[in-house]
Amino acid sequence: MVYIVSWDDFVERSVQLFRSNPEKTRYVMKYRHSEGKLVLKVTDDKECLKFKTDQAQDAKKMEKLNNIFFTLMARGPEVDVTEVTGKEQTAQPAKRGRGRKQ
Amino acid sequence: MVRLQLDPFLNELTSMFEHTTEKGSVWVTLKHCKFVLCSFCFPDFEFVALATFVFQDIDCKFVNYSPASDKSKVQRNKMTTAGKELEYKCLVRATDGKKNISTLVGTKDHQRFQASYATILKARMTSLKKREKKDKRKAADADKKQVVSKKRSTTAKP
Repeated sequence: MVYIVSWDDFVERSVQLFRSNPEKTRYVMKYRHSEGKLVLKVTDDKECLKFKTDQAQDAKKMEKLNNIFFTLMARGPEVDVTEVTGKEQTAQPAKRGRGRKQ
Repeated sequence: MVRLQLDPFLNELTSMFEHTTEKGSVWVTLKHCKFVLCSFCFPDFEFVALATFVFQDIDCKFVNYSPASDKSKVQRNKMTTAGKELEYKCLVRATDGKKNISTLVGTKDHQRFQASYATILKARMTSLKKREKKDKRKAADADKKQVVSKKRSTTAKP
């Protein structure tokens, strides 16, 4: 399976995949500390979306995706996730800014 | 597959990350669960889980709604038709290749769980590479500073 390069593309397509088949879709995170590797996979056993990274900044983005999936899965696939992502996006740049300035 | 409560699950997950620092990987899987009233298994309308898809570790009795408790009475009143969707949950499984654990995150506690889960990931995923773009300025200043800033960023993280 080919890895998706663009993060945004990966998020959009995985949410789409989940919505189209919520009962079969699973979201898997694999973390290998010894190699510093992180692989995310979203699949319904027909379509498979994968994203691979070794960057810490992508782990931050993953937090947002985790948030989206927890919300979708625990509250139902019809829930509007723009609210969830919106909150995260406004909160994160502010945090980063403070961190860098110090 | 061992099903745990939320906090024991998070503790186990943390120890999995600790055990795999030198070799091995950790897998965490999230899956959507739909709970409906199973009128076949429980004709007296006790609330049970009937997954519309079959999990190897789900059976009809694993959600222990006691029929005597007030909570289940309220829920029972709400649910008048059998087979109607009752609630959604997120099944979280984790494995390090040897041990399997799982937990169920409901609508009420998914935010709390997500927050603690994110904290664990932040604390444990330390072998990923730090961003290098913004270090360019510092690199231009002096190489020593870069070392210092790296140290700072690692100490500031947790």
